[in-house]
Amino acid sequence: MSTDSDTTPDTEEAREQLIDLAADFYDQFADGEVPTMTIPTRTKSNIVFDEDEQVWVYGDRNSTRSAKTISGAEKILKAVYTIDFLSQQLEEDRSSTLRELYYLSESWDLDEAQFNTQDESNNLIEDLEIVSDVKREDFHMRPEESGAKVMGPLLLREQTNRGDREIHCQDDVGQGGYQIPNNPDTIEFLDNDAKFVLCVETGGMRDRLVENGFDDEYDALVVHLGGQPARATRRLIKRLHDELGLPVTVFTDGDPWSYRIFGSVSYGSIKSAHLSEYLATPEAQFIGIRPEDIVEYELPTDPLSDSDVNALESELEDPRFQTEFWEEQIELQLDINKKAEQQALASRGLDFVTDTYLPERLDEMGLL
Amino acid sequence: MTSYQSRLGEGEGIAEELAESQRAISIAEFFEKNKHMLGFDSEARALVTAVKEAVDNALDACEEAGILPDIYVEIQESGDYYKLVVEDNGPGITKEQAPKIFGKLLYGSRFHAREQNRGQQGIGISAAVLYSQLTSGKPAKITSRPKGQDEAQYFELIVDTDTNEPEISVDETTTWERPHGTRIELEMEANMRARSTLRDYIQDTAVVNPHARIEFDEPGLDESLKFERAERAELPDETEEIRPHPHGVELGTLLKMLEATDSYSVSGFMQEEFTRVGGKTADSVIANFNDRHYGRGMAWQPPKVNEDADIEAAVEDAVANKGAETTATFAAAVSDAIHDRDRVAYHEVESIVDEAADEAEADGDTTFGATVRENAVDAAWVAVTDELTADLYALVDDVTTKRKDDAAIEGLASRLADKFADEGRHQLTRDELRGYIDRAADMTEEQDDATYGDTARENVFEALWTAAEGVPEEPPKVADIADDRDTASELLSAMRETDIIAPPTDCLSPISSELVEEGLRKEFDADFYAASTRDASVHGGDPFIVEAGIAYGGELEAEGPVDVMRFANRVPLVYQRGACATTDVVKSIRWRNYNLDQPGGSGIPKGPAVIMVHVASTNVPFTSESKDAIANVPEMEDEIELAIREAARELKSYLNKRQSMQQRREKQDKLATILPEMAEKLTEVTGNDDLHIDDSLARIMNNVLVEREVEDGTVRVHIENNDDTNADVELTDIVTAEPQDTNGATVVEMDGEWFVKWSPTVGAGETAVLEYSVAGEAEFTVSVDGIEDEKLTVNA
Repeated sequence: MSTDSDTTPDTEEAREQLIDLAADFYDQFADGEVPTMTIPTRTKSNIVFDEDEQVWVYGDRNSTRSAKTISGAEKILKAVYTIDFLSQQLEEDRSSTLRELYYLSESWDLDEAQFNTQDESNNLIEDLEIVSDVKREDFHMRPEESGAKVMGPLLLREQTNRGDREIHCQDDVGQGGYQIPNNPDTIEFLDNDAKFVLCVETGGMRDRLVENGFDDEYDALVVHLGGQPARATRRLIKRLHDELGLPVTVFTDGDPWSYRIFGSVSYGSIKSAHLSEYLATPEAQFIGIRPEDIVEYELPTDPLSDSDVNALESELEDPRFQTEFWEEQIELQLDINKKAEQQALASRGLDFVTDTYLPERLDEMGLL
Repeated sequence: MTSYQSRLGEGEGIAEELAESQRAISIAEFFEKNKHMLGFDSEARALVTAVKEAVDNALDACEEAGILPDIYVEIQESGDYYKLVVEDNGPGITKEQAPKIFGKLLYGSRFHAREQNRGQQGIGISAAVLYSQLTSGKPAKITSRPKGQDEAQYFELIVDTDTNEPEISVDETTTWERPHGTRIELEMEANMRARSTLRDYIQDTAVVNPHARIEFDEPGLDESLKFERAERAELPDETEEIRPHPHGVELGTLLKMLEATDSYSVSGFMQEEFTRVGGKTADSVIANFNDRHYGRGMAWQPPKVNEDADIEAAVEDAVANKGAETTATFAAAVSDAIHDRDRVAYHEVESIVDEAADEAEADGDTTFGATVRENAVDAAWVAVTDELTADLYALVDDVTTKRKDDAAIEGLASRLADKFADEGRHQLTRDELRGYIDRAADMTEEQDDATYGDTARENVFEALWTAAEGVPEEPPKVADIADDRDTASELLSAMRETDIIAPPTDCLSPISSELVEEGLRKEFDADFYAASTRDASVHGGDPFIVEAGIAYGGELEAEGPVDVMRFANRVPLVYQRGACATTDVVKSIRWRNYNLDQPGGSGIPKGPAVIMVHVASTNVPFTSESKDAIANVPEMEDEIELAIREAARELKSYLNKRQSMQQRREKQDKLATILPEMAEKLTEVTGNDDLHIDDSLARIMNNVLVEREVEDGTVRVHIENNDDTNADVELTDIVTAEPQDTNGATVVEMDGEWFVKWSPTVGAGETAVLEYSVAGEAEFTVSVDGIEDEKLTVNA
């Protein structure tokens, strides 16, 4: 795994890695063996904490796809077709989106090689990342949705198809902020006055903070996560932390799904645990809404649904959440049986979040 | 009905011998009134029945003479009537026998003997003859040619229905192309509405008689249907006649047997006429008979010391003029002998008195005449029966519940004692005893406010009946029983309640599972055949064997319910399918367990299958005289079920295997598309040479992979078994040069080619290698047997 962000393989290298993979299958055939593809099992039960990197990565358990079964043979066939496509794409130095790959497979002559769902093609790209040791971005595959937006005192240079651009993320952007490109490794940080990074789950809350001038007042880089953060967003957050030494904080709703958003920023997601070292920011801190805040600020709440309760209980078993803080908070939430949204803070007035809640919390965390 | 034809080369002797055991029973008129019972109730059915009887008859005739049957059946339109012609290649019949055979109903030894044969009751071909005569008024026309005779006989035969006497109206010699055999022509009112039934019947007959060749022609056919003999089929084993088993006879049969026997005594009759009856069993039957016929003598406990009755004194008083000492000795002897016993019955007192009297006579010169003895017996009996209530109280108390109060028991005991007081010898039958108990119990219920339910009464009855003693009477003579229906019925009951070993079963001749399968194979173009033959079993007094067969797939009709073919003693059962035990059993089986479709989980399964069941018995239990359906006898149903299940298990494993082969084929087809494409793509992407993927394919398919390697004149043939079961492989390598050092393989040379044959068993996941050497250039061709094509990859 190319963990070192400074040495991403260039296009030719990525292509060679892919073709090596195809060569492995070729050799298996040539030896009269059954072609197989072995990848780590991508489930909660097979992630382990990497003490050195302080992130969660895949454990020792592997799944093997073998051409002995029809479904295994179809998977390998699709992989080979995809490798063929990607290597051509790299050769021509073009790029495409995951969704385009899915539709493109329709044009493949063999029905068995075509993808049935986009999940299938997405998963296959991830499989290829794992076995070839090359990141999706280096295959020139991008997601349909690009990264989220940044607002704050940061000057950067981005390589675009139309040449390099220098952009200040407050002065050169509109109310919406700076749009993170699909491959944030094309960005070079030039200068900044930021004290910390504040990642915000919902668009509404981000807009509230920007409208209230929070970024200006507290020298915060406000990053909009937009639900589960895209890889580009997580990568940028990690770079902001690693390269600029900025503390990272995460501000979400107070429900189990939002805790997972924090988890993927901080610990890495289960599906992309092979890239945790590249995407996760283990030092990220959770601001709230904590179940504790629900009690403390008497926020308007909704009762937990059955699926909320299941999700909380499943988090208690998730190795990523087995810390004193999370066990305490989750058990408290199960106890009070309530959840609250970020916007619930508006029940104390529109400025409550910027004037009271965030300063109090950031102060507690020692960031102000 | 069989045995009517003389055996080949044995002349008239055999025929006469057979004739001796035959009796005539006049029921010709009975037939007219009971056509329906005999299967002649409709015109369509009458034709089927006539064919059935004539064919059965023909088959039996051939088999008994040891000739493989060759039967020709033809139905012709003949004016207003139909004409049935049945020919066989049997031994022919003598002129004298023909009328008896074809003319008299119930004529034949079969009616009494127990043997597995088709007709069984002798009411077969003669019924067809009679029917034809009654409907068309035409005589039966019979042509017969015994073996070795130059000319054939032609008879015309008509039956006088009043006297049941057949008359021959025409008798002439004629010519006939068959070297031996019999031909019968019957004209009758009939129609061909049952055409498909007829054809089925003939086909079914061919299935169940694979040793027979049958040809069938009728007006609706363009050319006759021919059913050839199965290749390996031989004549069925000759069945042995066994005497009837006492548990398997009916009253009517018993009466006829009693009439016909040469035996004088019941014991002799039992041992002579029945199977499994020896002296001891005969005695048990007689004891049971006596109990019913004569009843038992009630036995009482001798008077206790503290009771008033004194046997010794009573006997002494009853004997006069015999001298004091002799009388005293005699009386003491009687008294002692009685007191020695736990219980004593009247006839026992008689024998005790006789013994004591004989002794007294021997000791002195006194004579104890009949009168003296009688007086002594009566006196002793009066003393013994002086006080019965206490005795009865103990018996009743023993078997009734503790909840009954003393008054109720006392009441019943004293009332019973009163009943006995009326009768001198206290000898009574079961019914009489039960009557005593019932009346006494009724009275007790009425007057003492007690209850004696059926169970209590039954218990009291059993206690008293057990206490009673069988009487030492001689049973009536056979001739007397034969004249008295009631006595005969008592004998039948006695036979039935006696424990007797089951009848021998070696008298049966099943078709055998091999030939059942052969029969199905011959007549049905299916993919799979299975058959089973059960061991012999017994119901009533008759042994039986059940066989089952199943054919599946191929050309069999896939739509609708499966065909259930029923057979009894090699005869197809045509009508009353729904009333037959066989059908019931087939319906009750859960066929889904055997991978057959069964809508609703019960009933006749669906799909391309034929299920056949054959019951062979010395007496198949039919539901009626027309012999169309097997009765629901539990023992037989159990065996039918087991036989079907046995065959069905084979069907199941076949269907499972077929399904897994099908899946394997589908997988192979799919992978055969995917993998070459994958290989091509890989070649394209990597820019390498073309790939050969056969070896990978063989491993993927769990196949047996055969590969050859030739190096410096050394040939190695590898057999790699990738499956998870052993593979028995037969491999033949055909080489154009002479092989050397063949390591145990057999080598045969033919026209300059050497066949190297090798039959290893290769374990799961293992590889076997055959190594040999050839000098110089050679070409190789390998052929592999023993492995399904789906599982084999040859790369040599």
